[in-house]
Amino acid sequence: MTTSDSAISVRNLWKVFGPTPNAIVGTPDANLSRPELLEKTGCVAAVNNVSFDVADGEVFVVMGLSGSGKSTLVRCLTRLIEPTSGEVFIEGEDILAASKSRLRELRRTKFSMVFQHFGLLPHRSIIDNIAYSLEVNGVKKDKRHARANEVIELVGLSGYANHYPEQLSGGMQQRVGLARALAVDPEVMFLDEPFSALDPLIRRDMQNEIVRLHDDLNKTMVFITHDLAEAMRIGDRIAIMRDGAIVQVGTPTELVLNPADDYVSDFTNDIPKSHVLRVADIAVPISGGHASSSQPIPHDAIVRSVMHRVMSDPDPISIAKNGEIIGCIGRDELLTVFAEDINEELNA
Amino acid sequence: MKAYIDTHVPEFLRRKWVLIVGLLVVWFVLGRIFKGVHTLDIGNSEDTPTTEVLGQFAANIRAARAENPIFVYIFNPFRQGIESFVEVIRAVISDPAPGALIPVIGWVGILAFIGFIVFATSNWRTSLLSMVLIFGCGVLGMWTYSMDTLALTIGAVVLSLVIALPIGIWAGLNDRVMKTVRPVLDLAQILPTLVYLAPLALVFLIGIAASTIATMIYSIPIGIRITAHAIRSLQNGPIEAAESMGSTRWQKLTKVQLPMAKRTIILGVNQTTLAALSFVVIAALIGAPGLGEPVLQALSIRNIGDGVTAGLAVVFIAVMLDRSTTAAVVHSNQIPLTGKPLLVRRLSLGAAAIATIVAIMISRQQLWAAVFPESLDFRDPIGNWFDAITEWFTTTFYFLTTSFNEVFTLNILNPIEYLLADAPWYLTIIMISVIAAIIGGRTVAILSAILLLLIVWIGLWNDTMITLTQVLIATTIVMLIGVVLGVAAGRNAKFERILKPFLDAGQTLPAFVYLVPVLALFGPTRFAAIVCGVFYAAPVVVRVVADGVRGVPKEMVEAAIASGSSTTQVVTKVQLPASKKSLLLGANQGLIFVLAVVVIGGLVGAGGLGYLVLQGASKPELQGKGLAAGLAIVLLGIVMDRIAHASARRS
Repeated sequence: MTTSDSAISVRNLWKVFGPTPNAIVGTPDANLSRPELLEKTGCVAAVNNVSFDVADGEVFVVMGLSGSGKSTLVRCLTRLIEPTSGEVFIEGEDILAASKSRLRELRRTKFSMVFQHFGLLPHRSIIDNIAYSLEVNGVKKDKRHARANEVIELVGLSGYANHYPEQLSGGMQQRVGLARALAVDPEVMFLDEPFSALDPLIRRDMQNEIVRLHDDLNKTMVFITHDLAEAMRIGDRIAIMRDGAIVQVGTPTELVLNPADDYVSDFTNDIPKSHVLRVADIAVPISGGHASSSQPIPHDAIVRSVMHRVMSDPDPISIAKNGEIIGCIGRDELLTVFAEDINEELNA
Repeated sequence: MKAYIDTHVPEFLRRKWVLIVGLLVVWFVLGRIFKGVHTLDIGNSEDTPTTEVLGQFAANIRAARAENPIFVYIFNPFRQGIESFVEVIRAVISDPAPGALIPVIGWVGILAFIGFIVFATSNWRTSLLSMVLIFGCGVLGMWTYSMDTLALTIGAVVLSLVIALPIGIWAGLNDRVMKTVRPVLDLAQILPTLVYLAPLALVFLIGIAASTIATMIYSIPIGIRITAHAIRSLQNGPIEAAESMGSTRWQKLTKVQLPMAKRTIILGVNQTTLAALSFVVIAALIGAPGLGEPVLQALSIRNIGDGVTAGLAVVFIAVMLDRSTTAAVVHSNQIPLTGKPLLVRRLSLGAAAIATIVAIMISRQQLWAAVFPESLDFRDPIGNWFDAITEWFTTTFYFLTTSFNEVFTLNILNPIEYLLADAPWYLTIIMISVIAAIIGGRTVAILSAILLLLIVWIGLWNDTMITLTQVLIATTIVMLIGVVLGVAAGRNAKFERILKPFLDAGQTLPAFVYLVPVLALFGPTRFAAIVCGVFYAAPVVVRVVADGVRGVPKEMVEAAIASGSSTTQVVTKVQLPASKKSLLLGANQGLIFVLAVVVIGGLVGAGGLGYLVLQGASKPELQGKGLAAGLAIVLLGIVMDRIAHASARRS
């Protein structure tokens, strides 16, 4: 069963590694904790009964520490690793039921992947790396090179078409990885910790690049990361994984405001609320025409970004959503958020 | 029992080395008391029941060649197929086809062709070097011999690669295939080359076919091993990426795995080629044409000048093949040219191709370009010159060659040989098995005892012990050299750079070629065989030890220095213990390499099993004994390999 408007729909997905992977799911063993399961059966449930939906055009981030099963999960979605059981629907198609040749066709045309260590082919020039999936799909050389040149332009690598991967810096190599994933104009992109191997400064650049590409192309993305700040910056929604299971799914704001358990709040405590919350989250109703007459603030602005405007205006400033005023924000509301952040910092 | 030992035997007596030294003392005393008792020494041409059976078996095979369906429908056509393949190559470069006066291509054409191939696969510098080296073979007066060796090598390499590359790729991709072929590869690695010459000659007759097949048996495992390794050691990232983009398995193999593995696979071609060359030279023992012939003649009549000249030609070909294939590895690893450099490269390739075709045409028309001119042939002066040098050296350094040889033989070689060969056979077996138990564990001890008893049953116990003596002494020397030079090279990059060309040369040169100078210096003695074994095995062991020492984590060494260790203490207390595994691996490799060469020492008067094998190859009535000696060599090799292996695993 799938939700008709979701691009990806995952139900009860399992991946068990070990001597008897098929003898776990559906038995009482499935409810054991990780150490107990390993002790009893020698198996590890890398993906443990995972279900979620990703909407069309959404950036869905899967966040977790190493060993939490996030990389296995993303590989199960495209069957680079065969799941043990469950259901995966992408654009309404049952992926786990797809034949080998259908799966190849899907990989060549509908979804694409970006890897942590880039996975570029060292013996091919940049343009031939990018054109690879078109090539294996039988697209003629002129056509695939024309398309590759388009995406080279798109990711800002003009002039490097005939270079080789080893001649490029890490950041540029991952731009090639992105371009390669975009070359087939996929419906869904899977990104497995794409920026974890990069320097912090380059990483920030690449995150902005992803945001920009997403704004331009509006692709559905499943983005894996172990970095909560990155997750917050990029994700429309974030799933937090632990020991193979999803602990909580929510928007960045939801995770910060209502962490499901201590595990989640341990992560989110480090994030200053002013960096995550949007003005709509702390808006108050306009009472008695006190709002300032200045330009309204868009509802999805990050709290921190409006600090200067709000603090310099004696009156609360109104907040607009789709041209409609939905409330206002004043110095009091703003200071409450900052006070909490400072408090957290002192406690830590 | 164990509990008893734990409580009643003092701690220091339970240490391995104390036990072993104690045993050696006991062994030595008992060996002296029972000297000459039950040594199972038999006369040179005396048969035992087992060798008689093997001799009869050989005779049956000889008789069956013409009629037995296995021969008529399988072995003989196979032999003819391989022979005609190699004969085609020979007809082109060395041996005129029946009815022709000269080979299809004359020497000028061959030089140009080799130059072109090397240029196309690497660069003009290596191409020039290759042509100079091949020209040098002509100057040495060895042109036709050299071309025969080259033809056989090329033929064997092509056939080996046709088999080794697909199997290697398959074994690289598939674990089950790897598991199936690995034991065969391991066995091939410890099998001394000399052993399979006689059986092959028996089945395929003496000559080109048996030589080529023997060469293939030697070089195919090397090709398979490196090719499988090339596929297995690829990074997974690009392969997974290719999979995620919807490649079929075939596309993944041809567009990703093979191109990425190309460099290592070419390295495999390099190793396969050098292995084939060294074997083609030795295959002269079973009638392979080429440079092995003059070497063999020189060994039998002690014609040093000719032998060294021929050996030098082998060295030239080895260096040529090694340099050109290594350059090809480097070339294949470069980023492809674009723009103007690419145009230049294409134009020069085109020009070289035209020049080569012209040279080949001329070499088919003009006599001076067809047959290597006598005016350029300096075989006799060079040979005489080598003779003179040898003469001068052996007389001037008499104390070094003859005296040292005698002192060594009297004080080290003979006592150990008495211990192993002149004591009762059961004493030796018990002692070896107990030592195997101490250093390798019970399983290995039992295996050793069984295999040694098999050797007794074959009836060549005494000869086996003579060979074992030489192997053990040579291995000890190799290990001493290996540890000293290996530690030095592992600690000091500059020293390693100085050592490298010697190690490269030692590993590239066919073992056969240094038999001649060693024979010249030390005469036909057991000592000469030991020296050859040391020369052959030392480079490998030095490499393994140096790698091990270099592999010791830097922090460990720094910590030792920081806590005030002297250099000696760093070496003995940190670097050597931490690289114990490499040392044991080196000892294992050393044993196997030494065994392979020491048995060839039978050619230069070292006696033992090698001598019996060679005798069996030349005298039909002794063939049974030769085959049995080959079997004994294999059993001995397995015993040593297993003991070394088990002790490495235990550490």
